[in-house]
Amino acid sequence: MNLTLNVNGRAVDVDAEPHDMLVDVLRDQVGLTGPRVTCGVGLCGTCTVLLDGEPVSGCILMAPLAQGKEITTIEGLPEDDEVVASFDRNHAFQCGYCIPGMVLTARDMIDKGHACSREEIREGLGGNLCRCGCYLKIIEAVEEAAQ
Amino acid sequence: MTQRADQTRPGDGPARAYDGPGASSAVRGINPRITAQISYSIDSTIPGEWHLRIIRSAIPAGRVTGFQTALLDDDVIFLTADDVSDLNTFGCQIADQVVLTREPKFVGDAIAAVVAPTARDARVAASLVEVDYEAVPSVFGEMDAIAPGAQLVHAKHYTSESDSAYFDMRPQDGTNVCHRFRIRTPALQGRDEPEVVPHLDDPDDALADAFADADVIVDEVFHTPAAAHVPMEPHATNAQWVDGRLEVTTGTQTPFNMRQDLAHIFGLAAEDVRVVVPFMGGAFGAKTFIRTEAITALAARKAGRPVRCVLDRDEVFNEVTRHPSTVRIKLGAKRDGTFVAKRIWAYVNTGAYADCGPGVAQKMGYAGVGPYRFDHVAVDSYCIYTNLPPGGAFRGYGAMQSIWAAERVVDMMADKLGIDAVELRRQNLLHEGDTFCTGEVMHDARFEELLDDAAAAVGWEKDGDRRGKGVVVILKGMQTPSKAEARIELLPDGRYEVQAATADIGQGAGEMLTRLAAEYLKVEVDQVVVCAPDTDRVPYDTRTTSSRSTHMMSRALADAARDLQVHGTIGHGYVSNDGGLDPDTGQGIASSHWHQGSASAELEVDDETGIISLSTLYACSYAGKVINKHGAELQNEGSMILGLGTALFEELQYTEGQMTNPNLSDYNIASALDVASIRHRVMEVPGGEVHGLGETAVPPVPPAIGNAVATFGYDVRDLPMTPERVLAARLGDTFQSPTGEDPQ
Ligand code: FES
Ligand code: FES
Repeated sequence: MNLTLNVNGRAVDVDAEPHDMLVDVLRDQVGLTGPRVTCGVGLCGTCTVLLDGEPVSGCILMAPLAQGKEITTIEGLPEDDEVVASFDRNHAFQCGYCIPGMVLTARDMIDKGHACSREEIREGLGGNLCRCGCYLKIIEAVEEAAQ
Repeated sequence: MTQRADQTRPGDGPARAYDGPGASSAVRGINPRITAQISYSIDSTIPGEWHLRIIRSAIPAGRVTGFQTALLDDDVIFLTADDVSDLNTFGCQIADQVVLTREPKFVGDAIAAVVAPTARDARVAASLVEVDYEAVPSVFGEMDAIAPGAQLVHAKHYTSESDSAYFDMRPQDGTNVCHRFRIRTPALQGRDEPEVVPHLDDPDDALADAFADADVIVDEVFHTPAAAHVPMEPHATNAQWVDGRLEVTTGTQTPFNMRQDLAHIFGLAAEDVRVVVPFMGGAFGAKTFIRTEAITALAARKAGRPVRCVLDRDEVFNEVTRHPSTVRIKLGAKRDGTFVAKRIWAYVNTGAYADCGPGVAQKMGYAGVGPYRFDHVAVDSYCIYTNLPPGGAFRGYGAMQSIWAAERVVDMMADKLGIDAVELRRQNLLHEGDTFCTGEVMHDARFEELLDDAAAAVGWEKDGDRRGKGVVVILKGMQTPSKAEARIELLPDGRYEVQAATADIGQGAGEMLTRLAAEYLKVEVDQVVVCAPDTDRVPYDTRTTSSRSTHMMSRALADAARDLQVHGTIGHGYVSNDGGLDPDTGQGIASSHWHQGSASAELEVDDETGIISLSTLYACSYAGKVINKHGAELQNEGSMILGLGTALFEELQYTEGQMTNPNLSDYNIASALDVASIRHRVMEVPGGEVHGLGETAVPPVPPAIGNAVATFGYDVRDLPMTPERVLAARLGDTFQSPTGEDPQ
C-alpha cells in the first residue's frame, strides 16, 4: 500500500505492506539509519522515534499507524539541540548504536519536565538499553541538558 | 527543524568507517555517533545484492537426511553441504568447522541457506524448506561430556594452521577434550598423572604432597552459565567477488584473521581477500573470527552477485556465547595465613566447535591462580566439546569464570583461619620481582594499592564488622604473543593519516589513534585522520581483543611517528610481544604485561525475597597512563556494568540443547535502573606504561558481590546470584538450574 509519512518535516511517499513496522520503512525506504532494530520487541529503545513528540518503539508500530503524524528521528533534531550537545560534552557514548534512541527519549523527558533528579532520569531511561554500559555518562548528560 | 535526512541514505559500495582521507577528525565537533552520521556494518550495502537466510538445525546432534524444497520459487538459490565440498574446513584454533554441515552438532548449526532478491523473499523461502533428520545422542553439560564413555561430539580431533592457533594443542583422544592446558610449578613436574581428571571429587593423589605444609585446606566447586554478548548491532556482512577476488564488508574485531581464514577456506592467496570493517555497534567478543562471513561469501560465489546477510536477534544469541564453566579450587594455607599451594581444575564448555575455547581455557587456568605467592601451583584446564552453541571470546575472556571461584575461596579461607579477608590477601600478594606460577617475574605490580583502594571504597576496617562487604583483587593476561603494525602517511593537504587495523568496536579506537598520533607527531588533533580498517590499506595487526590494542598500538604508532620524522612522508611502526606458555607445564610468558584490578561491594540481602540491594559497587583498574580520560572511564564503567549483569541476572538457558531465552525479554541485561551504586577509579601513576582497560573490571565484580552476600550466610556457588539461588544457598540446598540440567 502507498503511504505518505511526515518525516523530519518532509512528506515522504513509501510503498509498504500493512504489517511493515515503522522502523523498517524508515530505514529501508526513507533511507534513515538513526532508528535501529536491536530487540525487535519493544524493550531496548534503539528504534525510538518521536511521534508527534511522543517517544515510540518503531519496531512494534505498524507503519500505516504513523500516517498523519509528525515523525522525528535523530536526523531531524536541530544541529544545535541541547541534548545532543550535552551527550557530546559528557562523552556519553561508545559504539553509539543506542544513542539516537537515548537522545530522543531524553528530549521528551526534558520537554515534559521529567528529568529533575537522577532517580527520575534513571527511571525515564529504563527502557533504553546500552550494552556498552554508558549509563553513568548518559545520566550526567541528561541531567546537564535538563538544567 | 534542520533537514539532514538526505545525507544518510545507504551509500553506494562498501561503507567505510571514518571515510578515509578527508574525513572529519575523530575528536573535533559533535561526535557523529550521537547523530547517526556514521555507517555501521548493518548500514552498508552493495548495489544489486541479494539476501541470505541461514537454515539451522532443529536437533542438537545427528545427520541431515534430506531437504524438501519443492515450494521454493525458481529464482531462489538453495545451498547445502554439497556446495562446500571444494572448501576447506576452518576454526581459529582448531579447524573443526565446515561452512554448511551435514552433521549438525547444536540446535542452530548452519545446515543450508537460501538466497533471494529481497530480505523478505529470503525469509519466506527459508520457512518453506523442510528438513529430515536422523538424531544421535547428545551431551550438554561439561562434566557429562568429560565423563568416561561420554558420547563424542566430534569423531576425531583436528588441528588448525591459523595464526590464532598460537600454542600447541593437547587434544585427548577418545574424549571430548579438544585441549588440555596445565600449569605445574617446578617441583610438581614430571609426575605420573592421569591424562584427564573427569570427577570433581578426585583425590589428586599424584600431587597431594603439594599441600603437605598446609594447615588448612579449602576445596570447593563453582559454576558459571553460558551468557550472551548482546551486541546491539547484529552481525551484518556484505560479500562480493570482483575479478576472482573476494571482498567482504563486515563487523569484525579480527580483520586479518578473517582475511587469512577466508583465503584458506576458499583456497585463495591472502592478497585476494579484502576485508573492510565499518564501525561496529558493539561486539564484546561476539564479532571475532569467522561468523557470517564464509557463508555469505559462498552464497555470493554461487549467486554470481553480491550477497548480504544480517542475523536476527535469536541468531545473534546462538551464534557464539560465553563458555559455561565448572571450576574446582583447592587452596592450602598455613595457620598464620601464608598461602602454600593452589590446585585448579577448570572445565570449560566450548560447545559444538572449539573456536577460541582452547585459549579461553588457558587464560581461565592462570587467572584463577590470582595475584598471590604460592610454593606450588597445579592447574588443569579442559576445553570440552558439547552439543551447545559454540563458546567464544567474551569480554573477560575466561578470567571471570575462574576468578569467581578463586576469590570466593580466598574469603572462605579467611573465615576458616579467622583472619581479616583483606589482610589475608595483602599478606600473600605478588610484589615487584616475585615469581608468578608461570615462572615469569612480576613487573609494574600494583596489587596492594588496588586492594587498599577497593577496601577503602566500602569503608573496610581491619578486623572490623564486615557484614555486607566484599573485596577482591585480580590479575588478567593480555594476548601474548601478538604483533601490531601501524603506518602514518603525510597527505598532500598536510594532514596525517593513520593506517591501523584496530577495529572500532565502540571503544573509541579512532579517538585513541588520533590522540596518540597527534601527541607523537607533535601536531594538533585535527591534523590527524584515521582510515577504516581495510586489509587492502592497513598493515597487519593480531586483532582487537583482550584489551591489547591501546597498549600495543600506542607503541607501534610511536615507532611509526619516529620513522616518519626520519623518512619524510610515510612512517612504519612495528611491535611484537613475544611469549607463550608450554601447554604441559604452563611455564613461559603468559602475558607481556598484566591487567590488574580490584573491586568491592557493599550491600544488603532481603531475607524474605533473596534480593540483593547494592549500596556501593566499586572497581579500581590499573591504567598506568591514560590517553583518553573519558574513553578509559567508559571502558571501566562498561566492564563493571557487564560484571554486574553477570553477577546478578545474566544466564542463557537451554532445554535439550535448545536455547529457551534468546531474546531481550527473557534474557535481561543491565539498564540505567541498575547503576545507581556504581563508582570507580582508573588508576594512573606518573610515568606509567599505557595499559588496556577494556575488560579488567569485569572479573572482580561477581566475587566482590558474592563475598559480600556470603557474609549474611548465603554461600552462592553458581552465577548468576538470582534471588532463588540466594535463598537456596542459605538453606544449603543445591540449586537446580532452570534448564533441568544440573549446573555442576
Ligand atoms: S528494537 Fe524496538 S525496542 Fe528494541
Ligand atoms: S553506546 Fe554502544 S550500545 Fe550504547
